[in-house]
Amino acid sequence: MGHWSFVALAYGIVWSVIVVYFFFLKRRYRKAQMQLSALPSTRTIEEHEQT
Amino acid sequence: MPAAQPVRKRRGILGALSLVAIGIGLYWGLVIAPPDAYQGEVQRIMYLHLPSILTAYLSYFLVFIGSCMYLWKREKRDDILAHSAAEIGVLFTALTIIEGSIWGRPTWGVWWTWDARLTLTAILLLIYAGYLMLRSLIEDESRAASAAAVLGIVGFLDIPLIHMSVYWWRTLHQPPSILQPNKAPWENIAWPLLIPLLINIVAFLLLLFYLLSLRYRLGEMRDEIRMRRLEQSA
Repeated sequence: MGHWSFVALAYGIVWSVIVVYFFFLKRRYRKAQMQLSALPSTRTIEEHEQT
Repeated sequence: MPAAQPVRKRRGILGALSLVAIGIGLYWGLVIAPPDAYQGEVQRIMYLHLPSILTAYLSYFLVFIGSCMYLWKREKRDDILAHSAAEIGVLFTALTIIEGSIWGRPTWGVWWTWDARLTLTAILLLIYAGYLMLRSLIEDESRAASAAAVLGIVGFLDIPLIHMSVYWWRTLHQPPSILQPNKAPWENIAWPLLIPLLINIVAFLLLLFYLLSLRYRLGEMRDEIRMRRLEQSA
């Protein structure tokens, strides 16, 4: 393996892992957003009832 | 929520800034920077290796602060901060070990050796991977947060050991490149190599804060979901 192959391997692995983590995080984020919007907040209901 | 919009906008700006900084760092590190006189092209791995470990150290410092604050004040936001930073810290520690291994093969002739610094960094990874496992194993949220906070504080003590290991023990690993006592960074590294290194450190730190803000918000939302489910079941 030439020196550039080691450099390419390191950069390839690092940026691939970071990109995969970013999309994994985004997916969890969106899932939590959907779950949150599906659950009514008691506080919101109480506030609504008071007005 | 009126405050959510500016936060999302700030996060977007931070994301764009980190993307630009990463692009500049990659170009400077791989194209503009000259090869090292002794190691040749393989030294370019330093532009990933050092920023990764500094990002991991800063993440664990945030775990330490968040854990101390949680044990003191018992506020959920401190626990969310510690948990979020631990996840990102584990990611960057694992990447540091992988980069180091790839760099070690052409320079030391081995992928791995039980050198003091390498071993202590592997222990750091295990401690914080354990931190994340501990959180998922204990069902009671408050107990999990307290136990994790203690581990988060104790685990942080490994970082000064890692930093000093190259002075205290005979190791294959070189001494610190920029954080040497009584020596400015430019006395160790020539400017043409130092500039891309500093750009990449800034890029990784911007990326850390961007990922952390996303992960922190995720933690907040999960906490809110848990609270709403408890309200519903009550």
